[in-house]
Amino acid sequence: MADVRFDQVRKAFGQAVAVKSLSLSVASGEFVSLLGPSGCGKTTTLRMLAGLEFPTSGEIRIGSTVVNDMPPGQRDIAMVFQSYALYPHMTVAENIAYPLKKRRVPRAEREAKVREAAATLQLQALLDRKPRQLSGGQQQRVALGRALVRDPKVFLLDEPLSNLDAKLRAHMRAELIELHRRLGKTFIYVTHDQLEAMTMSDRIAVMHEGELQQFGAPKEVYERPANLFVAGFIGSPAMNLIPGELRPLGSGLGFAGAGLNLPLASGGTAGEALTLGVRPEDVTLGDGPFSGTVRVVEPTGHETIVMVASGDVTLVCRARPDVPLTVGAAVPFALRTSRLHAFNAVTGHRLPVTFAP
Amino acid sequence: MAYSALDRRYALLGALLIAPTVLIFCAVIVYPLVSAIYLSLFTIFTPTLRGSWVGLGNYAALMQSNEFWRSLANTLLWTASTLFLQIVFGVAAALMLHQNMVFRALARSLILFPYFVSTVVAVLVWRWLFNDLYGILNHVMLAAGLISAPLDWLGSMPNAMISIVLVGAWKYFPFVVIAVLARLQTIPDALYEAAKIDGAGPIARFFDVTLPQLRDVLLIVILLRAIWDFKEFDLIYLMTGGGPIIATQTLPLMVYKYAFGLNDMGRASAVAVAMMLVMLVFMAIYLRLAGRNERENAR
Amino acid sequence: MRHLAGRVVFNLFAWTVVLVLTFPLVWMILTSIKPQFELFRIPPAFWPEEVTFEHYRRLIDETPFLKYMRNSLLLGFATTFVVVIVATLGAHSLVRFRYPGRERLAQLVLFTYLLPSVVLILPLYLMMVRVGLANSILSLVVAYTTFALPYALWLLRSFMQGIPDDLEAAALVDGATRLEAFIDVILPQALPGIISTALFTFILAWNEYLFALVLVNTDEARPLTTGVMNMLVSAFNIEWSLLMAAAVMMSAPLIVIFAFLQNYLTRGFGAGGLKG
Repeated sequence: MADVRFDQVRKAFGQAVAVKSLSLSVASGEFVSLLGPSGCGKTTTLRMLAGLEFPTSGEIRIGSTVVNDMPPGQRDIAMVFQSYALYPHMTVAENIAYPLKKRRVPRAEREAKVREAAATLQLQALLDRKPRQLSGGQQQRVALGRALVRDPKVFLLDEPLSNLDAKLRAHMRAELIELHRRLGKTFIYVTHDQLEAMTMSDRIAVMHEGELQQFGAPKEVYERPANLFVAGFIGSPAMNLIPGELRPLGSGLGFAGAGLNLPLASGGTAGEALTLGVRPEDVTLGDGPFSGTVRVVEPTGHETIVMVASGDVTLVCRARPDVPLTVGAAVPFALRTSRLHAFNAVTGHRLPVTFAP
Repeated sequence: MAYSALDRRYALLGALLIAPTVLIFCAVIVYPLVSAIYLSLFTIFTPTLRGSWVGLGNYAALMQSNEFWRSLANTLLWTASTLFLQIVFGVAAALMLHQNMVFRALARSLILFPYFVSTVVAVLVWRWLFNDLYGILNHVMLAAGLISAPLDWLGSMPNAMISIVLVGAWKYFPFVVIAVLARLQTIPDALYEAAKIDGAGPIARFFDVTLPQLRDVLLIVILLRAIWDFKEFDLIYLMTGGGPIIATQTLPLMVYKYAFGLNDMGRASAVAVAMMLVMLVFMAIYLRLAGRNERENAR
Repeated sequence: MRHLAGRVVFNLFAWTVVLVLTFPLVWMILTSIKPQFELFRIPPAFWPEEVTFEHYRRLIDETPFLKYMRNSLLLGFATTFVVVIVATLGAHSLVRFRYPGRERLAQLVLFTYLLPSVVLILPLYLMMVRVGLANSILSLVVAYTTFALPYALWLLRSFMQGIPDDLEAAALVDGATRLEAFIDVILPQALPGIISTALFTFILAWNEYLFALVLVNTDEARPLTTGVMNMLVSAFNIEWSLLMAAAVMMSAPLIVIFAFLQNYLTRGFGAGGLKG
């Protein structure tokens, strides 16, 4: 079956290193997202898997085959491009049939498969049109049709939804999830949009500056970010990152920073510089041991985003819409200590520190 | 720096596709270029093609030769004057054709036509227009009272130089028109509206909005046309043949005259190489500009 | 009302300018259909009193014009054919392949595109004499590649850079080899550019004068440019109406291209016109 494995893959363009020693295994049938800001190496990774770029060193396997020297067409993959890359001079039917034609599939079978794919994606009425006569969403479907028509082992998707409007994007997300469930194939999905990665993937590979930061299920990546980058990148609004250090407090250690003093339950060494991570939903406003000043209130309807100044930092908080808040007023707040994150301020790595309730 | 077998195979295919180009380049451009420099070190009698080594003698002779300096001066004068007119007329015509006018597409085609027509055709027509006895130009100017006797347009100075400069401007200004017109169409209307709101009149709008936007394109056009005008042979050779005597003889004409009129191919090569050295200045600037544009476009 | 008056004045002015600029070409046509004696009238009349195609008949019957025309057509088509094929392959290689020296090569192309013909012409002349190609149409085809090939390469390179990389990548993933991707995807996309380039190359070859002057010295291989000029120079008594008829006939292919394929010409200018 078609698991995908990167083994210490490195890619340099001249002096610039796009991917630094990447090792990653994707299980067969899994939906994996490569997530990161632009320039993080995710697209290069995908293109190496497709055979459109060649690794400087390391090994890429699909199933048990090392594909490093295999032309893209022989890798039994299909790819959906951000630009869709539909052949402008071919009709929709010809576009979808092209991969079959290149595999010398007989005409009758080809036509049957094109019809089948078109039916799956509701493209029957558009088969004789040229790509430029289609809307963005329709072009997207044709690109999907061209990918799924020949039943590849692995689907590669490079930001396939980023050119669609927000509504259509939500719709296509659901369709992709459904498609993946039905086909049961390995999907590798490149995106910079954490919402897409969180909602669709079995596992997310977060990348930054050519390096894999964390590889895990969406819940794990969200709840236990491996380092400061992942902590700051995943989640919207972003996690509050509060600089401080560990100091003796009472009988044990405590975090001190931004006017907060939090006793530790376990872990840590005195004097260590530490960055505290607090998700906006883990701040409860209205009651608690700490006090801050309300700076900005942004009601969104189902919740309210509040900026609260405490010490020299501003905390972003999620509040229920019924909490009364006045800009400029003092507000007491509490932190959910069981869900706080601690990172080494120098290396950025997550620390095995827990806080006292 | 090829990493994988596939990468190497692709590079090989790429090299294979460019191979015919490289072979042709070597045979008809690189080799002749090198041998032009080599030839300039000999004195060669054209009809027999026998020669003897003179080293830098041809160049030394050129430095002493009034004809060379005169031809260089003529080339610069012709290039500067005709280029100036091309740019002025070209920009003016482009601005005009950018406005709404009836049958604009037809007007554009008509304006462009001189550029695509053969120099031979242009020269024939203009020599007929310039004809001292029956040419319509003299008649019209006489009738309008601009001149009192028919002018000898091509056989005397400074008329001959003025004539070729005018014909050069007429033949090549459409190049400027096309380039500028294409650029004008990409200037956003919002810029003009903003300028209008700020109280700029039509003239201020031209100098403050249009001209700065045209700067880059004009720079490229001026360089390209300068290079092409500098090496122009057909038009001048066919209009005046360099005459009267050598009053309109430019460097390309001097090369031709020495090679095939005076049968001194070595000296002719030296002139050609010297001419190329002068042009290298323009070419280097152009190559740098083009390289910069390309890098910007790639971004 | 003032606005309307302004428009009328502007249109009158603009069209006057256009007509003045095209007058030489109009005069060429008018002269070619006037009887010889009308040319020498003082003052000259604008419209012909009598329209005659006598000059065209004489051009065809009594001069080697048709032979020149045939040579020019042959030369134009042969040059275009060779140059467009070589340049299409070369441009594709320059745009989509990675190999050492590629950037240098692209620069060399631009450099040669600016190179003056007079520098190359003497060695080329010697070369043709030595290999026995002088005085043949083939020698001109070879010589014309010196300017037409860099030009076509540069133009096609600009066109091909406009074709998204993803298209070729998609074809490769879909199972095409690189050559198949070139044929199936790149070529159809580049076709308008190739047509533009072919037109420009043909016009360049059709209009070339200097190489024809130096390399060919016989009516058997002489193209229109030098052929017609020869008629002017060698005639004892210059027959302007005959020459104007020749000029009109020489421009006929350009008029055809202009009338039917102008879009391709402007496109060529858009893509490579400035650079090339």
